[in-house]
Amino acid sequence: MADPAVATGASLAVGGRAGGNKAANSPVENYQLARRRTLQVVVSALLTECGFDCAEKAAVETLTEMMQSSRSVPTLSDTVVTLIEMGFNVDTLPIYAKRSQRMVITAPPVTNHPMTPKALSAGQKRTHPPHIPGHYPEFPDPHTYIKTPTFREPVSDYQVVREKAATQRRDVERALTRFMAKTSKTQSLFKDDIATFPLIAAQPSAVPYLGALLPSELELQTLEETDSSEQDDQTDGDNAAGNVMNDDPVVDKENAMLPPGGAIMSTKGSEDNVIDNPYLRPVKKPKVKRKK
Amino acid sequence: MSKKKNRNPKRASEWEIGFRRALHLKLPTRNSDIPTFEFAGTKVGHYFSRVIVECFEEHFRINTLNTTARWDLLCYQHYSTDERRLSWLPDHLSRDNETKMNRKRDKGFESPRPFKLTHQVVCINNINFQRKSVIGYVELTILPTVANLNRIKLNSKQCRIYRVRINDLEAPFIYNDPTLEVCHSDSKQRNLNYFSSAYTAAVSAVDPDAGHGELVIKVPSELWKQGDDSHLLKVYIEFSLDQPKGGLHFVIHDVEGSLAERGAHVFSFGHHNSTRFWFPCVDSYSELCTWKLEFTIDSAMVAVSCGDLVETIYTHDMRKKTFHYVLPIPTAAPNISLAVGPFEILVDPYMHEVTHFCLPQLLPLLKHSMSYLHEIFEFYEEILTCRYPYSCFKTVFVDESYVQVSSYASMSIFSTNLLHSAMIIDQTPLTRRCLAQALAQQFFGCFISRMSWADEWVLKGISGYIFGLYLKKTFGVNEYRHWIKKELDKIVEYELKMGGVLLHPTFSGGKEKDNQTPHLHFSLKHPHTLSWEYYKMFQCKAHLVMRLIENRISMEFMLQVFNKLLSLASTASSQRYQSHMWSQMLLSTHAFLKSISNVSGKDISPLIKQWVDQSAVVKFYGSFVFNRKRNVLELEIRQDYTSSGTQKYVGPIKVTVQELDGSFNHTLQIEESSLKHDIPCHSKSRRNKKKKIPLMNGEEVDMDLSAMDADSPLLWIRIDPDMSILRKVELEQADFMWQYQLRYERDVVAQEEAISALETFPTPASRLALTDILEQEQCFYEVRMQACFCLAKIANAMVSTWQGPPAMKSLFTRMFCCKSCPNIVKTNNFINFQSYFLQKTMPVAMALLRDVQNLCPKDVLNFILDLIKYNDNRKNKFSDNYYRADLLEALTNSLTPAISINNETRTVDNLNADVRLILEEITRFLNMEKLLPSYRSTITISCLKAIRQLQKNGHIPSEASLFRSYAEYGHFVDVRVAALEALVDYTRVEKSSVELQWLLNLVQNDPAPYVRHKILAMLCKNPPFTKTTESTICNEALVDQLWKLMNSGTSHDWRLRCDAVNLYYTLFGLTRPSCLPLPELGLVLNLKEKKAVLNPTIKPELMVGAVIDTPASIGIHGVGLNYPPEEEEPDPISLGVCGVGQPPQGIKRKAETQLGSPPEPGQAVQHQDDDGRVGRYKIRFNMEDEDIDMETVHDSQAFIHHHLNLLERPSTPGKEPAFIEQSTLSMPATPLPSLSKDTLSLPLKHRGEHGHHHHEHKKKKKKKHKHKHKHKHENKDRERGNWHPYSNSPVSGKSLHSPSLSE
Repeated sequence: MADPAVATGASLAVGGRAGGNKAANSPVENYQLARRRTLQVVVSALLTECGFDCAEKAAVETLTEMMQSSRSVPTLSDTVVTLIEMGFNVDTLPIYAKRSQRMVITAPPVTNHPMTPKALSAGQKRTHPPHIPGHYPEFPDPHTYIKTPTFREPVSDYQVVREKAATQRRDVERALTRFMAKTSKTQSLFKDDIATFPLIAAQPSAVPYLGALLPSELELQTLEETDSSEQDDQTDGDNAAGNVMNDDPVVDKENAMLPPGGAIMSTKGSEDNVIDNPYLRPVKKPKVKRKK
Repeated sequence: MSKKKNRNPKRASEWEIGFRRALHLKLPTRNSDIPTFEFAGTKVGHYFSRVIVECFEEHFRINTLNTTARWDLLCYQHYSTDERRLSWLPDHLSRDNETKMNRKRDKGFESPRPFKLTHQVVCINNINFQRKSVIGYVELTILPTVANLNRIKLNSKQCRIYRVRINDLEAPFIYNDPTLEVCHSDSKQRNLNYFSSAYTAAVSAVDPDAGHGELVIKVPSELWKQGDDSHLLKVYIEFSLDQPKGGLHFVIHDVEGSLAERGAHVFSFGHHNSTRFWFPCVDSYSELCTWKLEFTIDSAMVAVSCGDLVETIYTHDMRKKTFHYVLPIPTAAPNISLAVGPFEILVDPYMHEVTHFCLPQLLPLLKHSMSYLHEIFEFYEEILTCRYPYSCFKTVFVDESYVQVSSYASMSIFSTNLLHSAMIIDQTPLTRRCLAQALAQQFFGCFISRMSWADEWVLKGISGYIFGLYLKKTFGVNEYRHWIKKELDKIVEYELKMGGVLLHPTFSGGKEKDNQTPHLHFSLKHPHTLSWEYYKMFQCKAHLVMRLIENRISMEFMLQVFNKLLSLASTASSQRYQSHMWSQMLLSTHAFLKSISNVSGKDISPLIKQWVDQSAVVKFYGSFVFNRKRNVLELEIRQDYTSSGTQKYVGPIKVTVQELDGSFNHTLQIEESSLKHDIPCHSKSRRNKKKKIPLMNGEEVDMDLSAMDADSPLLWIRIDPDMSILRKVELEQADFMWQYQLRYERDVVAQEEAISALETFPTPASRLALTDILEQEQCFYEVRMQACFCLAKIANAMVSTWQGPPAMKSLFTRMFCCKSCPNIVKTNNFINFQSYFLQKTMPVAMALLRDVQNLCPKDVLNFILDLIKYNDNRKNKFSDNYYRADLLEALTNSLTPAISINNETRTVDNLNADVRLILEEITRFLNMEKLLPSYRSTITISCLKAIRQLQKNGHIPSEASLFRSYAEYGHFVDVRVAALEALVDYTRVEKSSVELQWLLNLVQNDPAPYVRHKILAMLCKNPPFTKTTESTICNEALVDQLWKLMNSGTSHDWRLRCDAVNLYYTLFGLTRPSCLPLPELGLVLNLKEKKAVLNPTIKPELMVGAVIDTPASIGIHGVGLNYPPEEEEPDPISLGVCGVGQPPQGIKRKAETQLGSPPEPGQAVQHQDDDGRVGRYKIRFNMEDEDIDMETVHDSQAFIHHHLNLLERPSTPGKEPAFIEQSTLSMPATPLPSLSKDTLSLPLKHRGEHGHHHHEHKKKKKKKHKHKHKHKHENKDRERGNWHPYSNSPVSGKSLHSPSLSE
């Protein structure tokens, strides 16, 4: 029924029925509307070809829907949707289906299905519920649908938690340092055995005080976590100070590195926010007259 | 400094100043005829008026004026807002009075110079970071104070001087620095007595405090004026500095980017009078002048210097800018400093006049570290009732600093390592202390300067004392008393071990001076000859003595004295055009003591005599018996005043006795004869009654009295509880008394004393007392920490009877571990600092525990390993680096010597299981440091110490290579020092001369001056061998090497040279090192008869300088001239040489021989490869050597002095013989040398010199004509060529004179 080309194209589309009702404004919706319209045309053309003179709108809709979902055979939901569209009440259907005095259709003649080798069977297979005829396919292995929780019960014992955290950290650290030691130059405390206690070789650093004084990123992180409020105050002050003097481009470069002073000043208000500090003053241009 | 708001304006008007000052100077009445007076509409009381007059009198020393005249002056001063308007008066009044005063008061200030410096300009035109060079000029404005000022002596070291002009006239100059090489290199003397006296003489010879200097400038005769002393001279000196080894330190890190991006910076440094290392000046603390400082530097950098930054101007090419500073407050040259670098600028948010500078990227740390500086400012200004004297203040944080804190006029230079973030606990109080110290020195040390070196103690004492007051206020009384006790213990320990520390040495008689301190191997005459440790102790003692004075006269009076000194100085400093008034800004011992007696009316001279004029401390032994019949405590106080470093004390002493009925103070009189003192007791023994016991502080407590002696009401006794004597007390008390003292005495000092006493009483009762203290939250944390270590010692002493778990373990568990699982420590939370410090300390102390096998108990080791394992800092606001470092230290402490079976080599396989665990931890920690470095690398340092300890105990092979790699330049300085310490230890244990050589090589070549100093200091502390021990590394080559190091290798750094001397002393003692072969007889010479008898085995030698081995050579060098000594045989050739100012090459060249390549011992006379001078003989004074070895130091010094004086006069080039008299007359400070027959050769020498000088003069004139235009630097090369004799002189750092400096 469906043109394969169309079908593949349709599979890409994700659209709802409701899309048609509203005025489309986004390009995606536009595209989908246009596409749906084309599909409708295709469906109508096919129907005409098959010899229909006219078709109900609901039928065309259903066919279009099927085509859009790249199906050639209607599914249960298609039927249900169609029934709803036609104005039937489907709520009673399940009850009807489970009625006790229903006619049971005999099993169709069974052709020999190739038996899939029972590779994996876990647990007891579920039997059919009474309303499902026995010739229907069996339930798959339970492992394919049974939900098993992926985590164990959380360990609430404090000691174990600490133990675990400590061991984990130690293992990570050891693995990391061992890795680093393997990939870089090492020193050893023993001449004969370099592998047991590998020490990453001491490398003189270009600016030794920076590493030693500045807090490491890890520490900065904890600092931010513990008192972020304090930090915020600081940055506010900095911004205020930065805004105070921006008139002279020459000074600006100078002042780029001084966010300081303003913290107090900004809180005090605007009446005296000019800090008279000689190091903040602009650098003067040389006097040309004095030039020899 | 005023905080912009919420601070009361302290200087509303001059009037108010007067008022404030008056309120704080309760001077005794001297004149009762002073009327009341009205100031600015306010009626002022009699008392106040009197006070102002006193104040005024004190200031101008006008004692002859009548009351009316005095009032006129007074009104004028206090009404006037412009203090300069007063200038008409004191100008003629005070001049007379001052001279009168000088005559009257023997200790008034007399300038040693025939001129007064009034103003100095320093202009540095270029700082080249690549070449590490500096070019600039200075201009000194001087006012001659004598007629015919014909020569000017200035200080200059290292600088290459291109030209000197006085009032636009070229002036000839001579440069000689005798301290470059103290003794001449071919000397075989090698004994420290000889060196010390020679070094002292060399320093004295250029001592600015005595009016000397390395640079002698002849004033052109056109400028000699008769009697007109308003005539100003402007001395203009162009100089440059190339690769300075002292004075200025360049820090350039080897990374990518421009200099500014690399954080390259340069700053001035030095130990006392070190400004001469970077520009010519009068490098004395007593020569004050105003300053104009100009620095032209890269535009990406900032130049921070003293005084006010007036303006910053770009150069024409806009690539550089010039910083113009003006320092209107008269300041001594040693207080001038400079720091240039790409600093980040932080204006103090509380005080906008204060600016902080740090290296790039450190701004957040700077912000945090400086956030409390304003509090320190406020504190000092409040207690001193005096505003900060300078109009601005700058703090600069630099890398590779020389000391942690150095203070200069209106700025301080700090080590960048003091900066810290908010997460760091341990560094915070240390940094605050440093800041407070720096600021205290701004008032006393920079603003108020010392009159002479002997007065240094006053300034150090006052600044240390007010720093102590800050400590008391900020950190509390407990911390303060703890600090005082620590300082007292330190000085007592030092003096008892090394001999006395003398605060106020007097140098009156030539013979006396060394008798004051015969125990020292260095001279006290100059700050530059002192050992660094001695100087530290000196500072420590100075502030303790100030505290003693406070005890005597009360703190209120003490502060009034300080206020008075500051007021006088600030009045003097505002007399801009009255340079003779400036001496008021100099503080002398005498003026200080006078001020004290004026303010307090008390006589403190016994105290001063005991502690200031005399060295050493007091040692008391106390013991007592309780006499039940008389109900009297019979206390016996004995003194040890015979052993070294002790003195006898006579005077009052306080004894506090805690009895059942309360605490009672008794003042006993220590006298010569009586040792026993009867102290009546107030309470009867009454152990049955249950009653609270009142303590000293009024508190009443319940005590369990079961431990005490039933018959005696005494709980404990304390001798001198207020530490008002510099003493050590050893008191015999029963153990229960110490225990009571520890538990119930509220003074932390008493508690600490009790703890150290309890170490000798390992009983369960002591254990209980200590444990109780440990648990007591209210107890001072330092006491609790000390209790930990004491408990460990007691536990070890009680090892056989000890019950229960290891000491402190259960306590630690209770305090810091989880309730549910006691083997796991809680996650870190260091919000309570007291318990933080305890948490850090307890494991360290616990690890010192030992079981019966003398091993650390398995429990303890596992416990510590668990602490490390479960340490969790994720939720903590603070960094745990110090805590982890201490846990590593605990592991180190747990180590005990390995049991070695037949000396097997240590391998991984035979490693002890415990040690393996420890090693695991160390490896992991050390490796993690590479990835996540800790603050100040504390963990790396602990790891290095642990590894060394493992090596030392024989657990792992002893190896130096690891430490070497950490000791290299490029590691953080603390890490380097820790690694070097390990190396020093290795050197001693393994007797490794290779390592010693490596260390000594670093001493000579390391870029960081602090590290160089530190290596020598550590070698002294942990010497590879001493004079009493035999060692294979002690050999002649080493002696020579060390000798060269102190003789010439360390001339660029006073401190380093003293360190080298110290090391030499530690290794070899005062006399000739025993490993040297006996000196052989080369030549016997009789000076008097000018006869030399040549040893027939010795060949003649081509050599100029003859008598080099005698101390005479020092005198010659001390004079400042470069001619060789020719007392015996004046030689025309060498005279010619000397006139030109060329160094005696024969002598000098020799010094260039490689360090470590000693002359062969048997080689008595060496052939000189010098230019073909006529055959002269090198004469060796072996007999003399022996003589000097045996004689006392002052004998040789007298000898030197004789020669020094002898040669003093010819040092001015080209002067007429007649002129000698004039010059000596004009310098009354210089004693007239006695003319002996040795001086007969002098006129001859002068002739030679003179003739040559004229020659030079002509040359120069021609030169000047040629270059009349203002070519400053283009023609310097040509000038140098022309000025050959001078520019080739040792002025240039690489001259022949300074073998040490050439490469």
